[in-house]
Amino acid sequence: MENENFEQRTDLSKLSAAVDKIKATLARIIVGQQDVIELVIAGILADGHILIEGVPGVAKTLTAKLVAKAIEAKYSRIQFTPDLMPSDVLGTSVFNPKSTEFEFKRGPIFGNIILIDEINRAPAKTQSALFEVMEERQLTIDGQTYTMDEPFIVLATQNPVEQEGTYRLPEAQLDRFLFKIEIKYPTLEEEIAIVTQQHQQKTTEQLSHIDAVLAGADIVSLRKQVRELYVEPKILAFTAQIIHESRSNKSLFLGGSPRASLAIVNAAKAMAAIKGRDFVTPDDIISVAKPVLRHRIMLTPDKEMEGVTPDEVISQIIQKIEVPR
Amino acid sequence: MRRTVCLFIFMLFCIHGYAGKTPVPKPVVKMAVKPKAVLVTDTATVTPRQFDTTALNAYKKRPEFVYRENYDGGPSLWTRFWRWFWSLFDFKDKKLTSNFMVFLKYFFIALGVAAIIFLVLKLAGINVLNTFRRNPQVAKLAYAESEENIHEIDFDTEIEKAVAVNNYRLAVRMLYLKSLKQLSDKGLIDWQLNKTNTTYINELADINQREAFKNLTHKFEYVWYGDFAINGDVFKNISLLFNNFKEGTA
Repeated sequence: MENENFEQRTDLSKLSAAVDKIKATLARIIVGQQDVIELVIAGILADGHILIEGVPGVAKTLTAKLVAKAIEAKYSRIQFTPDLMPSDVLGTSVFNPKSTEFEFKRGPIFGNIILIDEINRAPAKTQSALFEVMEERQLTIDGQTYTMDEPFIVLATQNPVEQEGTYRLPEAQLDRFLFKIEIKYPTLEEEIAIVTQQHQQKTTEQLSHIDAVLAGADIVSLRKQVRELYVEPKILAFTAQIIHESRSNKSLFLGGSPRASLAIVNAAKAMAAIKGRDFVTPDDIISVAKPVLRHRIMLTPDKEMEGVTPDEVISQIIQKIEVPR
Repeated sequence: MRRTVCLFIFMLFCIHGYAGKTPVPKPVVKMAVKPKAVLVTDTATVTPRQFDTTALNAYKKRPEFVYRENYDGGPSLWTRFWRWFWSLFDFKDKKLTSNFMVFLKYFFIALGVAAIIFLVLKLAGINVLNTFRRNPQVAKLAYAESEENIHEIDFDTEIEKAVAVNNYRLAVRMLYLKSLKQLSDKGLIDWQLNKTNTTYINELADINQREAFKNLTHKFEYVWYGDFAINGDVFKNISLLFNNFKEGTA
């Protein structure tokens, strides 16, 4: 009834159906965290990599694993450890005595959905091995360039930096993640549901019955649809204003980059598509601003010592800007 | 026989030993008789000697003897602090004028007072920088950049103008802004330029009003943000919805 006067310019029915299926599949196992699931789906549709942060035991890895399982594509999992070497991730050249030539043995990064567990437990050397592949979707080893297959999604999990045995990720690498999603503790009701579900041994059963609901090729076509969504120029200006304001904000040592502006627009398009719209509203921009910006901005040391969080600063920035109407 | 000889010799030695010691007569001690003590009264005239006050006063006037009366317990804590403070700097070799030292002293005092004030304000959680800014909370919003104020727009005229040139998109926008003004005037929403449409929907307490306004917002968003082209007939339908909403909230 609501859309009686408007016909969608882009057919989002397939996308909506796929999103609903993924949500329903994940909801069978993961209690609550609807916002997290929605953001993960938006990140995948916006052709971005996703960093999930949370204290141990809040189902970060499970969420990432289930999303990967719900998509029919080549899945790799890499457990990042302090002694992990770049060649363990990317691959290495091995001498073949038969052909008397070196052959490149592909590492686990060659896949469609890469789950990097505890990414911040590996040192900077290994982290930097991911720079090229995450940004350019290609790898150059021994002068040879390898292009990644589409879709190429990195789902990484990490514990907060305060946890023991973790390294702060380089800013350059953080910037390559579209979203940093923070998983909080469940509410009391959710906790009861989790315990009950586990007690009835439903979780283990459900885990073994997760089927792929979306093919990798479908994701490629859905991403194309998302890219074509309409964005009103005033909303583009609104996004640019947010990023511009972040650069002159007194609480911030480092503001958002132009890549952050692009990321917000792309993510907002995906969010609009998930909600069944083929255009972006200011609500879409605001809903993705925090996950896009919180890992790209840097607080000034005094604000950091005062306990101010990036999310609080982002909220202040958004409140300073007039919503286009 | 032999025994008798031995006894004889023994006896002989014993007699010889005894005979060697001549008895000494004991001396006779004669005790002297002490005379009886006699107490004699001294009746001589005593003239007490007086200090020469003139000489004393003369001495007192001499600075080398006045060393007890002016003792004030040594230098004060403040003086000792400054002595210690100056000792931190190597001023001995540099010939500094006393005026400059006074200036330095007051400069450091001012610096110390400023540091204490800053610390107190920090501990009290007061943003020192904001203290010197004008209206920090109000200035948060860049309202000056806003081109229009919904409370100053003549909506009916603007809608008529937009419809006259078939700019129905703008007309729908004006209708939506008008409805926001109505809700704000009735105190149903708190109008702020930084709030989104969803925020206003959530601010409405009445469920029916909320649903009706949600529907209007939906139309506005499709037309304005979605750039959906509408003709006169569609505008009439939308305009009717806005009028119904106005009557419903009256």
